[in-house]
Amino acid sequence: MSLLEHVVRFSRELGAAGMPVSTAEMIDLCRCFTYIDIGNKLDFYAAARANLVSSHADFPRFDRVFEAFWQKTVSTPVHETNNEDTDEEDALRKRSAERQRIPDHLDEDPAFGERSAATIAYSPDEMLAKRDLGSLKPDELKQARRLMVRLLAIIANTRSRRRAPERHGRDINFRRMLRRTALDGQDACKLLYRRRRIRKTRLILLCDVSGSMERYSRFLIQFICALRHELPDVDIAVFSTQLTVITPLMTRAGTDDISGRFAERVPDWAGGTDIGQCIAAFNRHFDAQMRRSRTLVVVLSDGWDRGDADQMRSAIRDLRRNAQTLIWLNPLLGFENYQPLCRGIQTALPHLDYFLPAHNLESLGKLVELLREIW
Amino acid sequence: MFASIDDLETQFCRQGYIADRLLLTSIYLSATLGKPVFLEGEPGVGKTEVAKVLAAILDTELIRLQCYEGLDAYTALYEWNYPRQMLELRMEEARGIDKATIGRDIFREEFLLKRPLLRAIQTRGPQPPVLLIDEIDRSDHEFEAFLLEILSDFQITIPEIGTIRPDHPPLVVLTSNRTREVHDALKRRCLYHWIDYPTLEKEISIVESRVPDIKQRLSGQICRFMQAIRNRDFFKRPGVAETIDWAHALLALGVEELTEDTVNATLGCILKYKDDLEKLRYEDLSRLIADAGNAAS
Repeated sequence: MSLLEHVVRFSRELGAAGMPVSTAEMIDLCRCFTYIDIGNKLDFYAAARANLVSSHADFPRFDRVFEAFWQKTVSTPVHETNNEDTDEEDALRKRSAERQRIPDHLDEDPAFGERSAATIAYSPDEMLAKRDLGSLKPDELKQARRLMVRLLAIIANTRSRRRAPERHGRDINFRRMLRRTALDGQDACKLLYRRRRIRKTRLILLCDVSGSMERYSRFLIQFICALRHELPDVDIAVFSTQLTVITPLMTRAGTDDISGRFAERVPDWAGGTDIGQCIAAFNRHFDAQMRRSRTLVVVLSDGWDRGDADQMRSAIRDLRRNAQTLIWLNPLLGFENYQPLCRGIQTALPHLDYFLPAHNLESLGKLVELLREIW
Repeated sequence: MFASIDDLETQFCRQGYIADRLLLTSIYLSATLGKPVFLEGEPGVGKTEVAKVLAAILDTELIRLQCYEGLDAYTALYEWNYPRQMLELRMEEARGIDKATIGRDIFREEFLLKRPLLRAIQTRGPQPPVLLIDEIDRSDHEFEAFLLEILSDFQITIPEIGTIRPDHPPLVVLTSNRTREVHDALKRRCLYHWIDYPTLEKEISIVESRVPDIKQRLSGQICRFMQAIRNRDFFKRPGVAETIDWAHALLALGVEELTEDTVNATLGCILKYKDDLEKLRYEDLSRLIADAGNAAS
């Protein structure tokens, strides 16, 4: 087998491991071979990594596949070593092939943007909207997902309308004015304005996936997917005992194989809860971003916390300082006799801008209303 | 441009930049293939420095495009010097020159304000310039899409003048502090490299290379101290740039070895946030200094 064939096989292995390689990248790698000593393993590795990997987070996986592949001699077929990974990925791919696509017509409904989210009550989905999210069965979940998408589409549409050009404004557009003048040959000309570039407010969702939130986990996954689908520039992080930022996972997401990906990459799904530590990690990760543009942080958690109270207090304080608006969604808040007595919530409460229930789709509808106003 | 990776390594060393083989390979391949190199890493690890060193080695111009949110194509590419054009227009009209000629005259190159990307493409010289696109993660999606287009073709079309192509495509270095994920399409267009914090040995070499007058004992203590600090849970971990600054500061103060007083006085070189400074309590500090000192002797 020639080196080229090896490279092609290697690229397939990488694709199976979740790091797809394009033909252009393969070609570029082959072009590199003219300039480096391919016998030198380090140089070969460096060239391969520089061409085929585009994220620091993928380095460990790339290293594993690289070692496994290039250690083998020429004659041995390489799938055998990566059997485990390949099977799992195949299973995930099969599941994604069965996935249900979000109906397109829902996105195109022009009138929907005008109606408020409260009109959900007038549709046949009214009963579904009042059901507790933790109690939804899988097929009801799919329906709930459709409703969520419609809700989120409202926000998406509202935002895009805000970016339409303004005819009047405060900033005069000199560039266009002078061009007009140059063409007309006049000294006086119509004042043209430049639309004020609205500094985007970003949304970050911080989702509790610990054991106490287990009943909502299926719904949470759907919600996260719908959110990401409708609003592509939202960042999403999940936490339990530690924080995992899952935005990069969503870029290559199908809808159903997401559960599989989460199970892989979020080591502490349905584990214990250490809210303070996780919020501190969240602050560190998103600090630069939150300073750069106004950020709206939505925390989705029941507040049950087994971590250090002081750490939680200082972490929430820091978060409040950095974020423009802090919204806490509590699935337990919808229940009649619930009092937010647990320590986690008590600590956070003074720092929150909004503390809202998130137990059924109706309450999510109210959240959407709020987001429309403030985002 | 460069004979081999070893040759590049020697040249980088001569400029005082200690680079590992992986980074050098990426830079070498970037220069040879004409593909941009994308350097990602924490602040202060020496990403921007790579471009400066490259420009020094090639004895060529370093053209820097600093990115920020809201940076648009005009600011990066070119803009017509409208006031000058208008003046020229009036003067020629006064002289009675016909409209067609005026139309041609005011769109000459001298009325063009060349911004970094255009300058990078237009620079003539024995060696191509180094184009540094700094902190691309601070720009927005629209700019990334625009940049992707430019980097694909390396040519710019100005409607009034024509298409401009470079003699030699510039060496392009993109840097990112990873405050957000840069779009995959842009990263895949480049050779990707992550610059990590250095190991202790590497950091000592860097300090001794950049601060030649420093004593070995002190440089060892400084680096051990910095390595320990980076393992702590600070809001903003200091980078290599901070280590070098601190070394310069201590040298200027005539310090021979780390003591609590000198460290306290110069802590602002390393930690830039009040919360971080407070975290480093007195007991902690003396323990860190003792550890750094003990290991050295």
